[in-house]
Amino acid sequence: MTCRRSILHRLGVAVLLLGSATATVGAQHMLVPMDDIQANHLKAYGLAFTALKTGTKTEWFLNYRGGAFLLPEDPALRRKAALDGITVESMSDATLAGIRKEIAAGNMDAVALEKAPRIAIYSPPKSPPWDDAVTLALKYAGIEFTQIWDDEVLKSDLTKYDWIHLHHEDFTGQMNKLYLGFRDTPWFIEQRDRDLGTAQRNGLANVPAVKKAVAGKLRDFVEKGGFLFAMCGATDTIELAMGAQNVDIAGPYSDGTPMDADADAKMDWIHTFAFQNVHLEMSPGVNAMSDIDGHQVNVPARRQPLGQFTLFGFSAKFDPVATMLLQDHRKIIPDYYGVTTSFAKAVLKPGVTILATEEGAPWVKYIHGDYGKGSWTYLGGHDPEDPQHNIGAAPTDLALHPNSPGYRLILNNVLFPAAKKKPLKT
Amino acid sequence: MITVGTFVRALAMSACVAIAAHPAVGGAQAQDQLIQRAIDFENAGKWRDAVTAWRAVISAGQPGQGVLGLERVFSQLAQDDSVLVALDTLVRQRPTDRMLRGAQLRVLRAVARDQDARDAFNDWVRVQPHDPTPYREFAGQLLMDGRAALADTILQEATKSLGSTKELRIEVAQLRAGLGLWTEAAVAWREALANEGYLEQAAQYSLQPAPTDKRDSIRAILRVSPAPMPVRKTLGLLEMGWGQPREAWRAFATLAPADSAFDTWSDFASDAERATAWAPARDALAAMLAARPSGPVAVRAATAALNAGEPNAALAFIATGGTLLPAIAARAQLLPLELKALSQLGRARDVEARLAANAPQLDPAVVKSYARVVAWAWIRNGQIDKARVALTQATGDDEDEVTAWIALYDGDLVKARNGLRHPADVTPEVLNAMALLGRTKADSSRAIGAAFMALARNDSAQAAQRFEHAADEVVDAAPLLLALAARIHAARRGDALAIALWQRIVQHHATAPEAAESDLEWARALRRKGDAAGAVDRLEHLILTYPQSALVPQARRELDLARPGATV
Repeated sequence: MTCRRSILHRLGVAVLLLGSATATVGAQHMLVPMDDIQANHLKAYGLAFTALKTGTKTEWFLNYRGGAFLLPEDPALRRKAALDGITVESMSDATLAGIRKEIAAGNMDAVALEKAPRIAIYSPPKSPPWDDAVTLALKYAGIEFTQIWDDEVLKSDLTKYDWIHLHHEDFTGQMNKLYLGFRDTPWFIEQRDRDLGTAQRNGLANVPAVKKAVAGKLRDFVEKGGFLFAMCGATDTIELAMGAQNVDIAGPYSDGTPMDADADAKMDWIHTFAFQNVHLEMSPGVNAMSDIDGHQVNVPARRQPLGQFTLFGFSAKFDPVATMLLQDHRKIIPDYYGVTTSFAKAVLKPGVTILATEEGAPWVKYIHGDYGKGSWTYLGGHDPEDPQHNIGAAPTDLALHPNSPGYRLILNNVLFPAAKKKPLKT
Repeated sequence: MITVGTFVRALAMSACVAIAAHPAVGGAQAQDQLIQRAIDFENAGKWRDAVTAWRAVISAGQPGQGVLGLERVFSQLAQDDSVLVALDTLVRQRPTDRMLRGAQLRVLRAVARDQDARDAFNDWVRVQPHDPTPYREFAGQLLMDGRAALADTILQEATKSLGSTKELRIEVAQLRAGLGLWTEAAVAWREALANEGYLEQAAQYSLQPAPTDKRDSIRAILRVSPAPMPVRKTLGLLEMGWGQPREAWRAFATLAPADSAFDTWSDFASDAERATAWAPARDALAAMLAARPSGPVAVRAATAALNAGEPNAALAFIATGGTLLPAIAARAQLLPLELKALSQLGRARDVEARLAANAPQLDPAVVKSYARVVAWAWIRNGQIDKARVALTQATGDDEDEVTAWIALYDGDLVKARNGLRHPADVTPEVLNAMALLGRTKADSSRAIGAAFMALARNDSAQAAQRFEHAADEVVDAAPLLLALAARIHAARRGDALAIALWQRIVQHHATAPEAAESDLEWARALRRKGDAAGAVDRLEHLILTYPQSALVPQARRELDLARPGATV
């Protein structure tokens, strides 16, 4: 910090302007710092998104001051920054030249962001009694998105989106095995009836069949160049659904028949993104899908305590994608539970990029990989600011967590598809 | 903190006391003597002798008492596992004795022989396969240790073996709370309370630590109608513990006026009085008074009503109290309250009449001390001259503040400024006066006096109008006076009139401290009437124009709420 400050002083940086809608005289650029100086990290992503939406040239300075954004001096953007409480610093050409030199000399890089990504969130028409961290983050940051659900996935052209997010959905069609505990609750009944209706409309036999079809369409989306981001229970269940196209892995309350007794052996791991050789949980009474999740929060006898996870450091110039996904002002982040909290190392496919892990633990938290022309990212856990999130709990108020390092990981993913593709050096 | 040792000791002692309280004959008397002897050794710190004595108690046919004694004594000798030898033998002889089985599990856990504890538990279940007692005992002990996950496993086994956890409701409820599953814990406690009403405090203890954002789900579950009395009582206890006395009273108010309800109300009223939550205290005392009329309760109810700013209600309680208390007590306890209530209502003639009627029985110094009350009554009646006359009867320093208020009503700001430097009570009215007197350099203002006079007479419409008028006369405090007027209009639901004043402040006094506040209040009024776009404009204006204002974080928060959703 001292070093950086002295550099900035030497370069004659114009001063910070939090809450001011007035540009500093002579400034040509606005730097949005993303280190501890930043007053509202989450809304800063919204500012970058707004700039892209209006066709404004934007750059992402990877590993520079926590992953700062560079925007041209613009009254409308400055006004938005002031309204949202986003810290921005005015900058002259000369100062910027000095920063570029600093970036060129270190493990940093400047990535041009080209256009606002077209975002879809796979989420049911009526929200179930839990919330989706990505929806919360996008709404708070002011990033536009379209809500899609099974019918849209099955019938419409997904290539109109650059980025699709999945959160809590159980793609095995077993409604997160909540049947035992919640089968009589109104929201559960409504959700079950809605899914059965979808199956009927689409000529499919049952809910697991619907979810398998949806999982297949989402895999096609990635194969054709789309970017898929999943959290919580969607991560492992979409893998199971993709791998179980020809085997019954759903309990009797979902499709009327028990699981195939030989389901483990019949799974096809060729067509999954991240996992292989997974063992399925055969008991319909045990609230777990498989041994993918390291924490198994809903199975008390297996539940593992929460620790903290560490973000890996990649070379910004050689691994810009991984670096983008890890831009943060913290490297160690407290862990948080979800239906799926983490991913067991033992079942990861070779070639999967591990972005964050817990030291000494047999699981990882955050993974990424390519599939066909597209790519996918999985982040374990439900809500980075609610470690013990329970069904029925009030949604997190992000106004109380404007600097959340966990939520930054989500928003990195949103901007990642905006990056200008340049030939990878590895 | 209660340790296993102290818990066991308490258990054994209470058992001994129970024995002593029910003297039997023959053998039972001999057993009592043996127990007393063992306790005497224990109290004297003669541990080895105590061991021998407790073994004799066991031999005499009191294995439960004897084992608890041995457990306690060996714990003192740091030889906790020594009792296991006796326990193993006794458990073989009496395999269904709950006390022995429980002691065995407890000791094995205390010496960290977890697997042996598990084996002992399994053995107990084998002996009594259809009895919930082993599950209850072991799960309860594990919960006491904070080992919620393991307790959960035991309860799951109970569900499989017994077919349900109906018999283990309490343990399930405690378990869920221990795991932080607050909604589920509330459901379980509700079920448990429906069957065993005495568990209110256990439920409160279990649910009290729920974090703030989880409390609404607990409330929702406990409020579902029809809620049995223990459930409502638990909710009330929780609300009190969470610092929400008004909500607590909402729960307690629905209790039928039986004996237990009366005691609950009484406890609640005392707590609310201590917390200066006067309105709920008044409600509870009123319920008590209706159930069991009593003079002291009437006095407390009148006091609470007065402190809650409800002099009319206070007068009703005073009337009731007058019929219940002897004349001397009524004069001593009710008359001061009555005079104060009448004074607050501006019923000056009534104050004087009541004072005159009681004067022959009062000390002249006491009568004089009421001069301030009389003066305030005349002030609220709008008759300053009579207030001034009443004050001439006063003694001591009391009149200083009243004199200052009279000066303020007269428009003498210098005298008011001097007298209000150290007010006795810092009410909103006092704060407004002090803020104004600190803001303006003017020495006098009839308009300001008239405005505060109208406020004192509870004539808010007139007060708002006069504050607005005073803004033209006292220019250096104009934005403050306009803001006062706007606040009164807003409190009277006159948003349109208030908005006009906020607009005037923002446009004509843009650099005044009240400008940012006016923008915020203006935005809130617009949101109230459904004009989200207008509210956004105001909030943006506040943030951009007054970036250093302490209200900016709040404005940003409200801006997020006022903006339409980001979904397309």
